[in-house]
Amino acid sequence: MSDAALSAKPERSWFAENKASIIRHGVINIFMLIILAPLAWVLMMSIKSRPDAMRGDFWPRKFDFGTYAYVFEKIDTLPVNLWNSIYVTGLTTLFTSIFAILAGYALVHMRPKGGGIVVVALLVSLYFPTRVVSIISVYEIQSSLGLINKTWGLILPYITLNLAISILIMRSVFQLVPHEVVEAAKVDGAGPVRTLWEIVLPMARNGLVVIFIVNFVTAWGEFLLCSTLTNDQTARTMPVVLAGAQGGLGQWSWPNLAAVYMIVVTPGIIAFTFAQKLFFKGLMEGVVKG
Amino acid sequence: MVETTASDRMTTSLAPQSSLGERWAALRNTMSAWWFLLPAIVFFVGYQVYPIFRVLWISFTDYEFLSSDPAQFVGFANYITALNDPLMWASLWRAALFTLMFLPGTIILPLLLAILIDKVTNAKLATFYRVVLLIPAVIPSTLVFVLWKWMYNYQVGPINHFLVDVTGLFTLQNAPQWLGGTPLTLPAIAVMEWWWGLGYHTIFFLAGLAAIPKDLPEAARIDGASEWKIFWHITRPALAPIMMILVVLRFGSAMAVIDEYLIFGGFNRDTPTYTWTIFMYDQAFKLGLWRQGFAAAIGMIGALGMMVVMVILIRIFRPKG
Repeated sequence: MSDAALSAKPERSWFAENKASIIRHGVINIFMLIILAPLAWVLMMSIKSRPDAMRGDFWPRKFDFGTYAYVFEKIDTLPVNLWNSIYVTGLTTLFTSIFAILAGYALVHMRPKGGGIVVVALLVSLYFPTRVVSIISVYEIQSSLGLINKTWGLILPYITLNLAISILIMRSVFQLVPHEVVEAAKVDGAGPVRTLWEIVLPMARNGLVVIFIVNFVTAWGEFLLCSTLTNDQTARTMPVVLAGAQGGLGQWSWPNLAAVYMIVVTPGIIAFTFAQKLFFKGLMEGVVKG
Repeated sequence: MVETTASDRMTTSLAPQSSLGERWAALRNTMSAWWFLLPAIVFFVGYQVYPIFRVLWISFTDYEFLSSDPAQFVGFANYITALNDPLMWASLWRAALFTLMFLPGTIILPLLLAILIDKVTNAKLATFYRVVLLIPAVIPSTLVFVLWKWMYNYQVGPINHFLVDVTGLFTLQNAPQWLGGTPLTLPAIAVMEWWWGLGYHTIFFLAGLAAIPKDLPEAARIDGASEWKIFWHITRPALAPIMMILVVLRFGSAMAVIDEYLIFGGFNRDTPTYTWTIFMYDQAFKLGLWRQGFAAAIGMIGALGMMVVMVILIRIFRPKG
């Protein structure tokens, strides 16, 4: 707080000033604790010995760090499900991002006739419960393409899950790039692809981080389509298998489940923590202002 | 590079431009713009627009997916059957009930937290709070549900552990059964959704608060305005647009919840999680020959009912002026 702000206030005792602050931070930290506690619980569960897992105490009497190695050695469907998750999510994120960049750029800086209709259609689709109602028809489409129970076939409907919001985010991010910059590139003889790739895209880095993360999170955790369009456990993605696993029995003992959970949830959190600065900037540029 | 650029500029400025040439250039620009839009539009139409109209069409037929008979056009028969079915109304009411439980908490708690965090002046602490806030938002949906399925678990879940072993408020015999279609299931899911959206919504409100000039509340305070008055006359109007977007979007997502009910509820028609979405899914993919014509009508009734309320909400919460 600046000196000016302090001196502008009516005089208050040092204690009164700090009491408000202490209470404020106390309340904030209770919220922080509530956010982190469930994750801490799973982390502890994953390193508990089996008898401690049933005991319910937060801090185990005996640690067992071997669970992580154990789940990879003993649960033979685990690598399959993990690989399904990785390539379906990776390709979905890649394609959606490319499509959203191209479309967002075209809408802002190439201004085609009829672009306004596209924007309205995208906006309306956000308010309609498309995902739920369309499942009947999507099943039919996948069935006629022979893609039922095919893991890679999930990529096609997955691309559209966040396509509309991704295009709209990229659109608001590209709107921050002055039109003169694009015009200047055009005068200099750069085609639209080169203008986009070399000049505009580097300026839209923050927005890119946002759509990467949004698409990654959605595809990695998608349940409805995956559980409807696939039948075999080996064709499914890791979170869907976890959602169906009954805890406590056989290979799905509680520490095993918790260890698998940590393996699946940590990459996203770590990636986000590293990219958080760009993510926040992008969120402000693309979502809040858009 | 620089030379060619300069000469390019020369030629473009010197060449006499016919209106035909200009029009050709404009047309070429539009054409290449549509090439850029093409992949997005193919997928958007193929997997979002077409399916909606296809489902709308199916809802007017007696289409059964597993039946070998061709579907017949039946007009509004499916809609009439659905609207005469008490389960249709019960399932819509259950979705509305969940929305009523969920919506206030997912707006008010983040608003409160945002007002508190907005006053944090230590930059490092503020960053730390923001990072923690967004952690639930980067946990993929299914993993949030799995996490809370364990939180609410009867045997090992920490919530019942706290209620039974730590505080002794309940015994193992009468400890609450949170999930699985009990009356507690909807409130339990609502609390989970609060947790999930808490950080993300707080960040939204923080962005809105950051846009308020800092000297405005200061000046009001000097003039002797109470904190409540400052909130009501300065903060609230500034946050109104964000509030409207959140209310409308979250109303939409709450009414159309399906994954949570599939994971926590199941297909018992008497349970509170058997909402219109589950009713539709049950008819389309579980029962008999997959009565998708009837299911499509259920889906359309649910979706249209939602859209009507959303339009009303937009009218109520639209910022004045």
